[in-house]
Amino acid sequence: MYAAWAVKHKPASTAEIIGNTEAIKTFSNWVNSWSKGVPKKRAAFLYGPPGVGKTVTVEALANDMHMELVEKNASDYRTEDAINRFAGLASQYGSLFGGKRIVLLDELDGLTGNADKGGVKAITDIVKTARSPIVLIANSAYDPRFRTLRSYCLLIEFKKPPASSVTKHLNRVCEREGIQADENALKFIAQRSGGDVRSAVNDLQALAQGKKRLTYDDVSWLAYRDRQESIFNVLKMIIYGRTSYGAKQAVDVADVDIDMLFEWIYENAPAHLTDPHDLAQAMDALSMADVYRGRIRASQDWSFTRYVIDYMTAGVAMARQNTEVHGWIPFKFPSRIMMLSRSKAERAMQSRIGLKIRRKCHISAARASKEVLPYLKIIFKNNVQMATGIAKWLDIDAEMVEYIVGNKAKAGTITAFLR
Amino acid sequence: MSFEMWAEKYRPKHLDDMVNQKEIVERLKSFVKSKNVPHCIFAGPPGTGKTTAALCLARDLYGEGYREHLMELNASDERGINVVRETVKTFARSRSIGEIPFRILILDEADNMTSDAQQALRRTMERYTETCRFIMCANYSGKIIEPIQSRCAPFRFTFLPREEHDKHIKYIADCESVRLLPDGTEAIFEVCGGDLRRGINTLQAASSMNKPVDANLVYSVTGKASPVDVQKMLTTAINGDFLGARKQLRDMIQKYGVAGSDIIRQIHTEIFRADIPELWKIKLAGIAGEIDYRLVEGSDEEVQLSALLARLVEAGYEIKK
Repeated sequence: MYAAWAVKHKPASTAEIIGNTEAIKTFSNWVNSWSKGVPKKRAAFLYGPPGVGKTVTVEALANDMHMELVEKNASDYRTEDAINRFAGLASQYGSLFGGKRIVLLDELDGLTGNADKGGVKAITDIVKTARSPIVLIANSAYDPRFRTLRSYCLLIEFKKPPASSVTKHLNRVCEREGIQADENALKFIAQRSGGDVRSAVNDLQALAQGKKRLTYDDVSWLAYRDRQESIFNVLKMIIYGRTSYGAKQAVDVADVDIDMLFEWIYENAPAHLTDPHDLAQAMDALSMADVYRGRIRASQDWSFTRYVIDYMTAGVAMARQNTEVHGWIPFKFPSRIMMLSRSKAERAMQSRIGLKIRRKCHISAARASKEVLPYLKIIFKNNVQMATGIAKWLDIDAEMVEYIVGNKAKAGTITAFLR
Repeated sequence: MSFEMWAEKYRPKHLDDMVNQKEIVERLKSFVKSKNVPHCIFAGPPGTGKTTAALCLARDLYGEGYREHLMELNASDERGINVVRETVKTFARSRSIGEIPFRILILDEADNMTSDAQQALRRTMERYTETCRFIMCANYSGKIIEPIQSRCAPFRFTFLPREEHDKHIKYIADCESVRLLPDGTEAIFEVCGGDLRRGINTLQAASSMNKPVDANLVYSVTGKASPVDVQKMLTTAINGDFLGARKQLRDMIQKYGVAGSDIIRQIHTEIFRADIPELWKIKLAGIAGEIDYRLVEGSDEEVQLSALLARLVEAGYEIKK
């Protein structure tokens, strides 16, 4: 069963949390102070960018101190009514079983618009009279809506942890998953994440799940990715899009160009559209998108791009008629492109031989290494005489002969003849 | 037996030596006669004589010193816009010395040029028509931008018909004293489908085993050179494994460089041999035809062919129902 690593490997204790040591200490002191009576500030307001460990800190601390954690998030307190329903929790001393309790209101940013105005006010009222520690979490505490609320809270800022700490965390995750990861691969993921630990772990999972070893080559394509709207979200918008318009929108938020996006869709759509009719429909849409790419090329009329986009986004989204959604299937980097970046050394050798063939055979080096080289391999393995003749004719060196024959001893006899 | 690549050794030297593409050869000969050549597009599948025709034309036109008046560029290797700017321009604008006032530039695999480079080329072609004539060789003329197409005389090369293919293969076997059995010739045609370069390479690789060349030997050689197991791919798709079939397709195209037109031709043949209801055969043939057409118009062989594979998956599912 698929489990998100970001959840699976969440720190269980504050000691495991990377970065923000000061903030965590301040917070933990404040929670401790409740044992000596209600402190001046009855709520702590943790704020900072996403994925730096705000929620995790609260959860881990509750765990460390054996406190009960009552967690609510934005959808639970959209209106004053809804808030009053659990206001009682905050007004009591501790929980039923004698333990202490923390009330956590997460994702405060989720309160929007006028309808939620009452929400912020209700929260402020609860904070004023709370008898259990209340923790508020938001990306920014300085939103004007929180002006009054803020004054009743202890403000604790969470900052992005440095890349080196994120790397350390990724390393730990890899160890637990039994993956051998190159240091620079993890460093790269960490740097790309811009201090967002959660997304770094998500990236790691997308790249490394099911592998024994993670190398720099496996991750370097992440350079294509944007922090704001990762390609995974873009793909979700397309492959799971409900409306044509929504699927088309994906192109605007993607930070890869259309051709690269096409590759992503082409790679991933089949695994997500398992019903044969849906699959055929989606592939047909991609085929039509490609036809329009061809038409653009032939006519140089780039305005046809809109049809490419229609087919590759809306066309694929609307293909989903029968496929049911079963759990989460990870998105994969386009393997066609991966294939190209692999075995650089081998390709270098092939193109060197290709160049030799080109000089004689009026065929591109690229084609030669695909069309002629395979036959050379057969000849060189079977017929030393013919091999020697061709080697001489093509003017290839011992190293190339060895590559073609794939066997040192045999290559030796051929090169001996060459001399 | 001689020890160079036979495909080169037996490449025709003069237009008169060319065994096939009769009508094209006739037109090219008339160019030689009038000592004038327009810009040309030679379009057609691999191994059908495009480059050969261009080289023969040049040799017949300029005589044995034809190399001095000729430049051969391969767009797959040098497809950037800079090559067009520098190399092509320098060559195109320099005057030819001799009887014929222009030189010839053969641009092979021109359909692999980026469209930017093609745009740049279009201007070069226009400006230096006096001093240089272009022969563009391409698998798909559709991938050459229209402004260039409209400046060129089009020539469509087709796969060699059976008899001509066999004649040529047998001729080479004779010259090289290779024992080629009739079913060997047949197998070469079946596997290479009239792509003469591949046919000759296959013959040479098979004869390197120092055994009489029969069908089995040919199949074993081509199996090693390019495991194009279209039948297996078809079965994989019909059994519902799309990703598996696509992987096989990708290997054929990327690793072994099999042309999309080749693959679809074989798929078409296999459809009628496959163990599926008769009604489905004609349905699938129709789909193959549609994809074949899109292959010409589109830009990515794997994408087009995998759309066909998805249809096969669908068909397999329906048939089972």
